[in-house]
Amino acid sequence: MTKEKWKASEELIHLFQTVGRASLLYDIQDSHCGNMVVLWKDEKGCERMAITATGSQKGDLEPDHICFPSISETDFGYYKASSEADIHARILAIKGVNASMHCHTKDLTITTFDDDKKPNQPAPFIPVDPLGYYHLEGLVQVDWFEIPSGSSEMTKTIPERLAHHPVTMVQTHGAFARGRTLKEAFFLLCIANNSGYIVRLADKLGVNIENLRNKINNSPDSQFSHPPNEYMIERDSDCDFPDDEEMTKEFIKTGARIFESRLSPFHTGSFSIRGVKTMLFAPKASMPREIGGPLLEKPLFLEKSDSPELRIHKKIYAEANFQTIIHCYVPEAEAHSHFIYPGENKPCERIVAIDAEGSFLYLVIPVVPPKTETETLIRLLHDYRVVIVRGGGVWGVGTQSLSEVLHHPSSVREICLYRIGAFEQGLDLKKMEPKKAKKW
Amino acid sequence: MRHYSFYGYHGNILEIDLSKGCIKTKPLDPLMIEDYLGGRGLAMRIFYDEVDPLCEPLGKENILVIATSPLLGTNAPTACRGHMVFKSPLTGIIGSSNCGGTWATAFKYSGYDVLVIKGKAEEPVMIDINPEEVKIVPAAHLWGLDTHKTTTELIADKDPRKHSRILCIGPAGENLVRFSTVMNDKNRAYGRSGPGAVFGSKNLKAVRVSGRIKIQIHERERYQSGLDQALYLIKSAPVTKRLLHELGTLGLLKLINIIEMLPHQNFQDTVHKEEDLDKVSGETLNKTLLERAGACYGCPIACQRHTRVGDKKGEGPEYETLVMAGPNCGIYNLKEITRANYRCNELGLDTISFGGTLACAMELFERGIISKKEIAGDKLNFANAEILEKMVDSIAYRRGFGDKLAEGSYRFASSFKHPEFSMTVKKLEIPAYDPRASFTQALGYMTSPTGACHLRGGYAVSLAFFGGTREIPRFSLLQSPIAIRNMQNLGIIQDSLGICRFTGYAFSTDPWSRMVSGTTGMDFSTERLEKMANRVAVLERIFNLEAGIKPEEDTLPERFSIEPILVKGKEKLLPKEVIAKLRNDYFEAQGWDEQGRPPQSILESLKIKGIRK
Repeated sequence: MTKEKWKASEELIHLFQTVGRASLLYDIQDSHCGNMVVLWKDEKGCERMAITATGSQKGDLEPDHICFPSISETDFGYYKASSEADIHARILAIKGVNASMHCHTKDLTITTFDDDKKPNQPAPFIPVDPLGYYHLEGLVQVDWFEIPSGSSEMTKTIPERLAHHPVTMVQTHGAFARGRTLKEAFFLLCIANNSGYIVRLADKLGVNIENLRNKINNSPDSQFSHPPNEYMIERDSDCDFPDDEEMTKEFIKTGARIFESRLSPFHTGSFSIRGVKTMLFAPKASMPREIGGPLLEKPLFLEKSDSPELRIHKKIYAEANFQTIIHCYVPEAEAHSHFIYPGENKPCERIVAIDAEGSFLYLVIPVVPPKTETETLIRLLHDYRVVIVRGGGVWGVGTQSLSEVLHHPSSVREICLYRIGAFEQGLDLKKMEPKKAKKW
Repeated sequence: MRHYSFYGYHGNILEIDLSKGCIKTKPLDPLMIEDYLGGRGLAMRIFYDEVDPLCEPLGKENILVIATSPLLGTNAPTACRGHMVFKSPLTGIIGSSNCGGTWATAFKYSGYDVLVIKGKAEEPVMIDINPEEVKIVPAAHLWGLDTHKTTTELIADKDPRKHSRILCIGPAGENLVRFSTVMNDKNRAYGRSGPGAVFGSKNLKAVRVSGRIKIQIHERERYQSGLDQALYLIKSAPVTKRLLHELGTLGLLKLINIIEMLPHQNFQDTVHKEEDLDKVSGETLNKTLLERAGACYGCPIACQRHTRVGDKKGEGPEYETLVMAGPNCGIYNLKEITRANYRCNELGLDTISFGGTLACAMELFERGIISKKEIAGDKLNFANAEILEKMVDSIAYRRGFGDKLAEGSYRFASSFKHPEFSMTVKKLEIPAYDPRASFTQALGYMTSPTGACHLRGGYAVSLAFFGGTREIPRFSLLQSPIAIRNMQNLGIIQDSLGICRFTGYAFSTDPWSRMVSGTTGMDFSTERLEKMANRVAVLERIFNLEAGIKPEEDTLPERFSIEPILVKGKEKLLPKEVIAKLRNDYFEAQGWDEQGRPPQSILESLKIKGIRK
């Protein structure tokens, strides 16, 4: 390989830098941990991997921090590459895999702790949320290793796990994911960590998680509103309305806010604004500013090719005057939707804010079952502007702007956080809920 | 004792036929309440059912309907506003005017929800309403008095404790000036579209009301939950908690200038010198003429400006008045504008149409279309502040050249064969926001059912520049039609609830839904309120179509298509094709056909009955 070719292309650098910064922002890295890898061909057509250097800061990657070791043999590229380079080399050998990523998915890591005698085989992690359940294919295998960092045992086991599951977990260390693209691997790690976070929150709320897992196991379809869209790796840079600069800016801003405020994991959720004949639609709502996602213009009428998510947007627009719609998988809301008040036996049907701003902006937020009909959802949106669907995310509507509709999941997140915090402190939520709201 | 099936209402329509001297109390149809709520919605439905759309606006066949809402008489913030519907003598289409102050609440306390005035008295009369008695009484002695003297006279005559409230016209209404107002509390106006002339055409000088009949609230807890939320948000939103109170609406002046939307010299451009605006800003008003702020009944915002110029006291100027009679006429003299504002209130002139008509005359004069001879030697140049007060009098009394101006700018400019210099939509003068600076604002003016009105058009400026989370892009063809439809609907809801537009800076419909549902015991969900708004919009459109409006009249003066202004350094105008697209998309957003006609399917889906074939 020539010196010239050793240099990463601008496109590759941009990809690593943006995904690196996004992973730091999403708090699934520390300043120096983790690694990112993509399959790369040199000038002779030989497959190599482009991998981040060991100890490099993923939030501030420079071109020199990307190395190009061989996949099939040991070469000088390994001097600088991540200590997990050989694990990734084997992951890349899996059919259809072009990228892999390792992150310190802290919430998932904490959720998968155990204090069993070692060695042992930890239990797999079972997500209780729809994103985790569907995208992680029902579970994340967790493995204990004597040496849980860059070891030969890991080099053997992790690729084997990833041959059957999109994400796997090294107990006390973090997760590995494979993908068709680096963004897909990052997406899966975000989903996995989000699932861990939801379980942690639900646990704090006293939710019987094993019971929930049993229900999901018995009948997953009945526990979730609809399977989320399959992760598409194409069209991320498409924009159907580039000439409308104001609107494009609004979409990019909204997507970035959803991601940065953790209102929905990377490239999940959706939002839209309607015109008279068409609607502008972001099918990967949670979009870091530098990574983006597709910005599409769609007809308002239903089409056969519409995803379930898009169909709901269209149905709402057909039945109501709303101009904007948002759907986010707010983890705090998902966890809270399973909350059962002490002494009761059914999950709560409404969330009453206990904080000052939340209680005046939203006296009540309805929580509905997973299979709620769209007609009911629309009626509730008319009355409450925002609705939590258990196992289905948070839907919000606005009469004018994207900014208006973005406020709903943002507020819901905060409202749920405060309630969870209060419950964690042993406080009586019912006593804290404003009395005036009890009939609403 | 409550004797009506719904709380919040007395259940009484007071109908007065001035031709026959006949006074009737009719029951308020509960089904009509369910579909049209109150205020604008209820007035519109009653008006539509009673009036021939082809009637002569200044003839005895025209009627006036003034309706209150179920929230009037409660302590809901700003719920004091009455709504008047009539056929406009200025535009020939629906006249729909909303007013704060205290009169409407006092009328509700007299035991009625709606006042319908028909016919024409042979001699000047006034109507006296109290719970015990309703009378039509001669008012020849009041004819010719200005609104302040009329009010003082009638309060002194009736009630030394001043509990009665007066709605009246001044000389402008008596002289059938097409943009004359009906005033209450001396300085609060049913301002736009010429209701004063309709009063005048009926020889009706005033309506005096008094009473203490209260309404009851059905479900206090529900009502209170909405009220608490509303008050909290009013007290936390900067515009409602502080700005409007401390600076009045005139506090908008510099903001609107910064966003390059402040009209100058009959909308020829939006360029002003900073030092000129400093002379007429809200901040300057506070330091010079302001004596105190004031409030309409039950309003925690308190935006009124009580001012003094020399030894004369009055109210204003508010933003629209100041800009239309000021910078839009090239005038930056705060005292002269304020004096002219006082005089408009006294004589009963709409300050927006006054300023717009004068600016049009000034442009015609500067272009040499009007000669000095025609204006009897007056200097009608832009920037001539001295002429302001004199022109108010000339118009109100139809003296000399003022007689032509009293017809409004469209008829005035047309009489000189140059209607293109009339900055109007459907003959109503455009308020003080340049439409070239925002598609949504432009579309609001184009499609307002009353002609170019910022309030009926959706008050789009608030969306674009200080709408908080509801801010929208200024030049989005995609977003504007739905955005303006939704804003217009919100306006209909607010007008039908009898509340102030300014509450919209703090919150939208949800708390009102709880307050009105709690008050009435009926389920006025936000969805239902929105449907009610759709229904009213359709009815207003149908009336206008029946009155002869054509879809091509949903447009803007040519100036806005051919003379650009600068916005952020870029030339902005509204080409004909953009106007056509906005209009067509708006029709589609409303579910109307390409001619702007609501189809039968819309009537059926909204359950609108009784439409003339």
